Amino acid sequence: MLTMTSETSHEEQLQLQKEQQHPVIADLCLHLSSKSSSISAPSPPLPPHPPSADKPPPSSSTKKSKRSSIPLPVAAIRVLLNVIRRSKAETMMGLQADLREASDVMVNFAKLGGPIPAVLINDNNNTTNNTQQQQQQQQQRYLLAGRSHIALSSGCELFLKYVTRASLETPDFTSCKSQVLERGERFAEFSLAARDRISSVGGPFVREGSVVLTHGRSRVVESLLLRAALVEKKRFRVMVLEGRPDAAGAKSARTYEKNGIPTTVVLDSAMGYVMERVDMVIVGAEGVVENGGVVNKVGTFSLGVMAKELGVPFYVAAESYKFTRLYPLNNSDLPEMGGIGESLQFLDTLNWSASGSRKNDDGDEKKEESTPTSSLQDVKDYVVNLPSTVEVQNPPCDFTPAKYITLLFTDLGVLTPSAVSDELIRLYQ
Amino acid sequence: GSNAIIFCRSRSSAPLFLARLKNHGQTKLSAKIEHKNQHNNIITMGAEEAAAAAAAEASKKEKKKPTNIVIPPKKPKLSKAERRALQEAQRAAKAEGGGSKPKPKKGGGDNNGAASNNKASGADDKRSTAEGAADGEGQENISGSSATDNKKDDKTVSLFSHLPQPKHPTDQHLSSISSTIDNNLHPAVPTLGHLYQTHSLLGGNARCRAMLQTFALLLQSYTPPPDTRDFRVDVDHSLLKPAFQYWTTQCRPHSVSMGNAFSFLKLAVANLERDLEWNEAREILLESLEAYVTERIQYAGKAISRHAGSKIQDKGDVILVFGRSEVINRLLLDAALTDGKTFRVIVVDSRPLLEGRDTLEILSRAGIPCTYVLLNALSYLMMREVTKVFLGASALMSNGSVLSRVGTACVALLANSNHIPVLVGCETYKICNRVQLESITGNELGDAEEVAFTDCARVGPSNRWGEEKKKDGSVLSDWKSQPNLKLLNLMYDLTPSSAVTGIVTEVGILPPSSVAVLLREMNPDSAFKGTD
Repeated sequence: MLTMTSETSHEEQLQLQKEQQHPVIADLCLHLSSKSSSISAPSPPLPPHPPSADKPPPSSSTKKSKRSSIPLPVAAIRVLLNVIRRSKAETMMGLQADLREASDVMVNFAKLGGPIPAVLINDNNNTTNNTQQQQQQQQQRYLLAGRSHIALSSGCELFLKYVTRASLETPDFTSCKSQVLERGERFAEFSLAARDRISSVGGPFVREGSVVLTHGRSRVVESLLLRAALVEKKRFRVMVLEGRPDAAGAKSARTYEKNGIPTTVVLDSAMGYVMERVDMVIVGAEGVVENGGVVNKVGTFSLGVMAKELGVPFYVAAESYKFTRLYPLNNSDLPEMGGIGESLQFLDTLNWSASGSRKNDDGDEKKEESTPTSSLQDVKDYVVNLPSTVEVQNPPCDFTPAKYITLLFTDLGVLTPSAVSDELIRLYQ
Repeated sequence: GSNAIIFCRSRSSAPLFLARLKNHGQTKLSAKIEHKNQHNNIITMGAEEAAAAAAAEASKKEKKKPTNIVIPPKKPKLSKAERRALQEAQRAAKAEGGGSKPKPKKGGGDNNGAASNNKASGADDKRSTAEGAADGEGQENISGSSATDNKKDDKTVSLFSHLPQPKHPTDQHLSSISSTIDNNLHPAVPTLGHLYQTHSLLGGNARCRAMLQTFALLLQSYTPPPDTRDFRVDVDHSLLKPAFQYWTTQCRPHSVSMGNAFSFLKLAVANLERDLEWNEAREILLESLEAYVTERIQYAGKAISRHAGSKIQDKGDVILVFGRSEVINRLLLDAALTDGKTFRVIVVDSRPLLEGRDTLEILSRAGIPCTYVLLNALSYLMMREVTKVFLGASALMSNGSVLSRVGTACVALLANSNHIPVLVGCETYKICNRVQLESITGNELGDAEEVAFTDCARVGPSNRWGEEKKKDGSVLSDWKSQPNLKLLNLMYDLTPSSAVTGIVTEVGILPPSSVAVLLREMNPDSAFKGTD
């Protein structure tokens, strides 16, 4: 579906663009890239025909617009709210059908997600020879980077269930629809405020003087730790795993340090080494599954096993809309997760940094003040190129069974893993 | 041995006491006098003598010269074991009068008779609460089985003596026919009872369905007597209850599935309106029976197929099953035939029922590649090729443990230790509100003869008990005459919830910890409200 070469005719490109510019998708990207729009304001009227060169969506005016910190499911919920507002259905079933179609489109779209790795783009970073559409695609992939579709599908599913549950009393459809809209807005607000609630229930678990280990870049965990440091004024250290291949940990280390929390970054493989010095482990979740386990960035499972073995409590911070009815039996039983992990690049960073930013072998240590372009050139020398017969597997997520998890911090409160199924039965009943 | 401790109030009477007993010829008396303080002497002596002596002592507190004391006749010198056996017999006789479970132990050589009795009295309470899925049936169970104890010899295993002994079909059936004519039982009842008793009908679903069909038949042929004010009471008392009791006490203890269905039926009868015409009421009852079977058994089975089917991967899955389970067979057939998935099945079987042969036949006729092994080959397979284990269940306890055919726990525990996921398929109507921690308190005994005969040339279950067993060549053919040999044949065992990865119900796949939630949601009538 995604074509790098622009050999196709303009006609086909429009077709492709149309597919990917389903109004729902456009809406979603809009929400993902906006700072923080209020929920009640209706979205601007969408163009009936997918835009060509004359009217680009606001997000692609710059090369990379700011990604908002809004979680993907919350953005999706807002999109669904707009779908309800725009829906021309006359019955409850019709409305449900509309909602279901929209959520299916979004889930399929999310399965694509993830940015194209920089090295594969052959010098097409600038706007000159990219077609508008390719740029849009790139933009969309960028917006979706690092967001899994599990939370999206579970969030949509729960929204649908919640919204259509109490809609049986009123006989009149328009009042029904407004009631549905109201419930939906409440759900969206609830979901957006979930992070704050989680931070307040989970904050007390961070003790003064402790060392907290975290993995992956979870906004929920970030807000929890920041609240503990800034609001509850606790002093603690954070240890972060680097988080290959997207350097998620390194990025979150910046956030922590900026807010005054002393941070240490270690390699992913050093998790066993540092576990003895750690007082608690806290991670986020892409999805919380029915048996109480979590699906999260790859490496979480190892962390869980290690923590259990060394007696370190393992906490998961997740919003309740991430509860999904999946039931993975083991790691091989996870659903297909496309997108994020496409191809790994193997880089010998040890020797690269040892050689400095210039490509010379005389061993002089130069400061890394070079321009981005030249360092990119140098990196290429340290990339380990593998023959095509070597298989590379890059699972984006793994599954941590419930027995390794001590507690879950959710907006419904602090739960044990076995309470997740209880909640799900209630929510889906 | 068993001793009695007697506290004598007066210190001076102690030597006199002993002298009196010595006069009565008790040479085996061992007396220990401990002066605890000024006021009490403690004497230990033999049991029977203690009873007599206490009576004598009480009557003759002041008198020094025992002139008019009742002298018991000279007792024969019994050995320790014989004395104990006599005591057990006396205790048993006393217990039988009170209505609790008797345990006659004839002859000597039964060393753990005393131990079993103590356990039995303690286990009695456990058992009566443990067995009662349908309320009140527990009591009938105990009293009904006492009739067969007279034929029992000393071959009962003491640890399981709280469970009713299996009924022998040959003589029981003949005697029961006459009794059923007296009791006005519909002939369908002993017919079904015979099927239960001879293990011709096995499996929770099959037994429950047959029971409900028979009840439907009973309801159709029933007319309330003209003088009853409320036919509901009559239906319950004269139609439903006697039939159920007959099956449970005379044929085979009921399964949890049968118990839950029976509770449902009784509730349906109780919920009928008072002033309904019998014909209308009958229609309502028959409809609700039909609905129960369709929804809770048939549709539930389909839903379980669908949920579990999503866990079967195409090309490469090696699935292990144990014994015969209707739900599991169905889900494997659906996956292979309807979904068109390719996978292999390993059927594990165990004696004496050898139900796995039926599974093997069903699955291989459908074209699924199967392997058949007995239980002792399990570890060889588990470590090598099995990717998933699917097990059936007879009942689910509310703490998530699974009661199933004996051998299931073995399979589940071994799979667990090899990190192979174990899925248990069970409909929600089989969830019972009791909690069981091990396989001993709530179980069922099968015929020990089955264990003795290793002859596997049985063609089908109908031959199971009716035929003369081939006595030649079996090592254990004379097991009954071996003094220290007992054979035990258990029907069920309990798999702990930690060994189960997921339970597949019609609601979805759930962790074992959620069974209690399901009980609350799906079987609200039987959710724990207190002791019933």
